[in-house]
Amino acid sequence: MTQQQDQTIKSRPMTGPLEGIPLPDLDRLPDYERGFWEATHNNELRIQKCSACEMFRHLPTPMCPHCHSLEYLWTRVSGKGVVYSFVVVRNPVHPAIREKDQVPYNISLIELEEQEGLRVCSNVLNIAPEDIYVNMPVQVTFMPTVDEPNVVLPLFVPSK
Amino acid sequence: MTTNSADVNGIRDKAAIIGIGETEFSFDSGRSELQLASEAIKAACDDAGISPHDIDGLVRYEMDTNLETMVVQSLGIKNLRHWESVSYGGGAGNAVVGHAAAAISAGYCNYVVCFRAANLRSQLRLGQARNPSRIAGGQGVFAAPFGSMAPAHQFSLFVRRYMHEYGATSEHFGWVAVTLREHASRNPRALRRTPITLDDHQNSRMVVDPLHLLDICQENDGAAAIVMTTPDRAKNLRHADTLTLVEAAAQGSGPLNEGVIYRPDIAMSESVNTARDLWARANLGPKDMDALMFYDHFTPFCLFNLEAYGFVPFGEAKDFVQGGHNIRFDGMLPTNTHGGNHSEAYIHGLTHTQEAVRLIRGTSTAQPPNKTINRVLSCSSVAQLSAAVIIRRG
Ligand SMILES: [Zn+2]
Repeated sequence: MTQQQDQTIKSRPMTGPLEGIPLPDLDRLPDYERGFWEATHNNELRIQKCSACEMFRHLPTPMCPHCHSLEYLWTRVSGKGVVYSFVVVRNPVHPAIREKDQVPYNISLIELEEQEGLRVCSNVLNIAPEDIYVNMPVQVTFMPTVDEPNVVLPLFVPSK
Repeated sequence: MTTNSADVNGIRDKAAIIGIGETEFSFDSGRSELQLASEAIKAACDDAGISPHDIDGLVRYEMDTNLETMVVQSLGIKNLRHWESVSYGGGAGNAVVGHAAAAISAGYCNYVVCFRAANLRSQLRLGQARNPSRIAGGQGVFAAPFGSMAPAHQFSLFVRRYMHEYGATSEHFGWVAVTLREHASRNPRALRRTPITLDDHQNSRMVVDPLHLLDICQENDGAAAIVMTTPDRAKNLRHADTLTLVEAAAQGSGPLNEGVIYRPDIAMSESVNTARDLWARANLGPKDMDALMFYDHFTPFCLFNLEAYGFVPFGEAKDFVQGGHNIRFDGMLPTNTHGGNHSEAYIHGLTHTQEAVRLIRGTSTAQPPNKTINRVLSCSSVAQLSAAVIIRRG
C-alpha cells in the first residue's frame, strides 16, 4: 500500500541537514564508531564489515554480533537503498527546531542494497514529505552540517 | 534433555498482591519525588492493612530517582532484606511485578513493594529532546543528527512500517484512543476524562506523522505502588476475601534492539518472545484471559500486543479494534479499563497492574458487567524489550 496522499498544498522539502541539534563529538567517539564519520567526511558511506564472516553491521559495535570476530573493515557501500520506513515530524521537541522553524522534517530509515536488514537513519532531501513512500528508491549524498562543518551527514535523495 | 527456562514457572501462585496505592495524578504535583513515592507506598500499605514498617523488600524502576536508602529513611523501614531495580522506565513496567513475585517466591523477604514515583511533567519530560549538543557515541550519534531525538520519533517508525505491512490506518489507532478515553471518563483518578470522538482523534494535531496528539500518552506527575506477600499471610490481611495471585511472569526482547529501529522486523513487536514464554510458563493461552492491560505509550502498540499475544492473527488487530466495541469494558476483551497511559496517567505501566487487581476485586470504575474477571494479562510491547504478568483470582 502506498503512503502517497493527494494533497494540493504540500510541505516544503528538506534541502540540507537540520541545524542546531545534537551532533557527534568527533574527538570523543569510541574507536569502533569513528570510521563511519571519517568516511562521510570524505563523502563516502562506509559500513562495518566483519573480516571473518563478511556480514555488514550497523549500529557499529566492537565485536561482530554474528561470529564474534573483533576484526572488521570500514567497507564502502554503493549508497543505494530504499526507504524502509519514514515519519514526518511536525511538532518540534527541540528548541533549535522550534526557533529556526525547521518543521516539518522527515526521519527516514534507509535499507541499503548490500544486505537485507542493513539500515541507517537519515533524512530524504528534495521531496515533499507527502510524496515519500515505503520502498521508494534513494541514493546517498553528503552535506556538512552548518554548526560543525567537520561533521558531514550522509543524507539521501530520491533516485530515478 | 535439559529443560527450557520457559517451561519452568517457579513463581506460580506463590505471591499475592495485597495492596495497591497511588497519589493523585497531576501536571504539577508541587512536591518531591520522594514524597510522591512515600505517599503511594503508604497508600498501598493502608490498602493491604499493614504498616510500612513491615516492608522488607523493594523493587525500583532503575529510572526512578528514589534510591532504596531514601525510601528506607522516609518510611522508617527497619531492615530491608531484599532490593533490586529493573532497567529502564516503560521497559520495567510489569517486570517489577514479576521480580517482586520472584523475591517472595524465593523467600528473600516477607512484604515487598514495587513502586514508580516521578514528576514526569513538571521535571524531566521524556517526550522532549534530551540529547546534549555533542554526543560522544552510542546509538544517539546515528539518530539525533537526523532529528530523531524523542521516543515518539523512533517508535513511529515502527508504526509506519506496520501500516505498510498490514494496511492499518490512523483511524484504527483512533478507535483505541476513543475507547480508552471512554474508560477514563468513568475514572475519577484519570487526568483526561472528556470523551472524544474518532473525528476528535483525526483532527488532533499531527505530532509525528503517522501519530496524532491523541495517539500519544500524556506526561504527568504522580506515583503508584503495589505490595505483595505470600498467600498464607494474605489470608489474614484486609483483602483476604479476594486473594489476588501472580500466576506467571515473563520478559523478552529479541535481537538487535539497541537504537530501537535496527531490529530485523519492526512491523512486529519484540513481545512475541515475551508472549511465547508467558503462555508456556502459565500453561495458558489467549482464550483464558478475561481482560487486558496493555502498556499504551502509543495507541498502535495496543494492536501490536493483540497480535503478539495471539488474541488475533498478525495483521488483524486493526479489524478487531474497529469501532472499539471488542476492547470496551463491556466487550469481548475489556482493555485498559482505567484509561491507560493514554487517558488515566503515565506511571510507566504500574497503574496497569493495579487496574488488573481492581478488576479481580470487582472495583474498577469500568468493571465489565455480567462477567467475573478471574484472569488479567498485563503486558507491554515497548519496541525494545518488554514484560508481562498474569494476575489471577486465588
Ligand atoms: Zn562476523
